[in-house]
Amino acid sequence: MILKGNPVSPGVALGEAFLYQVPVYEVLESYVEKGSERKYMDSLELALYKANSELEDLMAALMESEPDKAKIFAAHREILGDEEILEMLKEAVEEEGKHPDFAVKSVFDKFIELIGNVKDPLIAARTADLKDVCNRLLRILKGEKEKNLSSLPENSIVVAKDLLPSDTATIDRAHVAGIITEAGGAASHTAIIARGYRIPAVAGVDKVLEIIEDGTTLVLDALTGEITVSPDEKKKKAAVLKAEDFKNQKAEAEKFESKPAVTADGIKVEIGINIGTDKFCVPFENYDFVGLFRTEFLYMESNHLPTEEEQLESYKRVLEQAKGKPVTLRTLDIGGDKTLSYMQLPKEGNPFLGNRALRLCFKHTDLFETQLRAALRASAFGPLQIMFPMVGSIEDIRRAKAAVLAVKEQLRREKQSFNENTGVGVMIEIPAAAVIADLVAEEVDFASVGTNDLAQYLCAADRMNPETAVYYQSMSPAMLRVLGTIFEAFHRKGKPVSVCGELAGDPEAAVLLAGLGLRKFSMSESGIAQIKAVLAGINTEKARETALICKQLCTEKEVKEYLAENTPC
Amino acid sequence: MLQAYARGTGKVEDSDMIRKQTKIINKTGLHARPASDFVLLAKTFESKITIRNMEENSEAVNAKSIMRLLAEGIGQGAAVEITAEGVDEAKAVKDLAALIERGFGE
Repeated sequence: MILKGNPVSPGVALGEAFLYQVPVYEVLESYVEKGSERKYMDSLELALYKANSELEDLMAALMESEPDKAKIFAAHREILGDEEILEMLKEAVEEEGKHPDFAVKSVFDKFIELIGNVKDPLIAARTADLKDVCNRLLRILKGEKEKNLSSLPENSIVVAKDLLPSDTATIDRAHVAGIITEAGGAASHTAIIARGYRIPAVAGVDKVLEIIEDGTTLVLDALTGEITVSPDEKKKKAAVLKAEDFKNQKAEAEKFESKPAVTADGIKVEIGINIGTDKFCVPFENYDFVGLFRTEFLYMESNHLPTEEEQLESYKRVLEQAKGKPVTLRTLDIGGDKTLSYMQLPKEGNPFLGNRALRLCFKHTDLFETQLRAALRASAFGPLQIMFPMVGSIEDIRRAKAAVLAVKEQLRREKQSFNENTGVGVMIEIPAAAVIADLVAEEVDFASVGTNDLAQYLCAADRMNPETAVYYQSMSPAMLRVLGTIFEAFHRKGKPVSVCGELAGDPEAAVLLAGLGLRKFSMSESGIAQIKAVLAGINTEKARETALICKQLCTEKEVKEYLAENTPC
Repeated sequence: MLQAYARGTGKVEDSDMIRKQTKIINKTGLHARPASDFVLLAKTFESKITIRNMEENSEAVNAKSIMRLLAEGIGQGAAVEITAEGVDEAKAVKDLAALIERGFGE
């Protein structure tokens, strides 16, 4: 059986499933008998004391080897010592007569809500710590022993709903081979820790705890996001080889990470990064530009539409961190499958063909205007350019540009400073825009190709649906021809074009993209080293021939076979 | 009493109370380590201590509660008011204000 998820920390592992259930303590609204409040308060105080000593032990164990992880438990002790939490717990039991576990749950829930509403995402993220401490207290009140991941059997692939900070901090690093979680995306706590520890991890695997049994052999391919349950011998061997290969390649590639990307015949290639946060820490020398700054996080992590000032602050932060490197801000790409809790969006039968992204912005003009105002005002602080997603026609482009002009006029009247020459460009991801790339190039300052959506729309296949995944072919001759058309059209007009879809970070595709003329690759940080290493081995003249030949092949399979046999060096 | 003033609902206008206004100068603001340092120092005093973010005209919160303090999201440049009431109130206000004015050693 094969399961699919999002690869959030690269690598390949062969191991045995270790099912880890963070216990969920059901707490019912219950009250203690009148007159026994004091007794129950004593038991709560004992639980607080025990929790504190558990945390002390955990801290002491980590202090020497990993002082950073010890800090997590220091933060948890800080929560336990929070005067107001303690006072409220006391009041809940002694005055309101709540049962200790009900008191703990209600007080912590209050603080989780309070902290969760703070605008600063770093503070809001501390709700994970509050939940963790709350769980610890509830467990102690239930009289259960602490369960954690500090001692695992060899080659364990931890399978969990999600991991708490105290789980990842104490995880047995010598024996953990991989992590699979039901919850979470690339920005989840588990994903960040897994990448930091270089543990292969796949997140967002639906119902994995119900499907996989404890001790089952698994192949975890956190390069593709594929999990093979009970693999046969052949698959196991292949996994071991792939894991080896990955490790070697990674070690080799890391030598290239901080160097400029140059091909074997000395052609300079620009490397961009894709970010989905205003706090990124990619070393300055590793990249040349921010090719895709997704702004959805501002909308999704908030409980209200982000204001102009909030957005401006965030955009300024990105420009500041990019230290003068160009930043391509993509306007809101939401709707369809991605929804906002505070905004009612009608349910659509066909969300990917629905009223999403730019289309949604056209409908909600005030939302669009706020973002454009914030982006333009940010342009006074650094080289920012604005990019529109889901452009399907020249009308879309003209309408978006008109909105930019109108906002510029507003800002001029208000005497707000902004860069008059802020570049305006588009994502090319709808085939209709790709086919008329020459006309698009007339209208815009630059373009970036979103290969994921482009392939999805071109092949009419949902890549997240396992049933249709085989029809999603991002390296098919059809795709290569379309990409070639786009690159040529922009180069002929002398306008920059990049790829910011997954294909740009795919080492297998690099030779084709370079061969089709691409000189700007933008990808997530984790792909940089490998792509630079691959590019260093490519001769662009030979790559051009390879691309020409592949465009004439009949199927994606033939393309891949041709590439495997003719690695141009 | 503690409950009442911590939630900003109680009457805290007390003529005996010491108060001082100052400005947050460190880059992080009252987040992360500076927030922890502030609470740690506050806890060394017996007095009841509050801090109020004057920028947002919000309520005074218990300075010995890290979570309340974080929830205020007090950033760089914000004006704050510290109050203390109790046996060591003068020193509490003086030392806490000094910690802020030193910029938490950032």
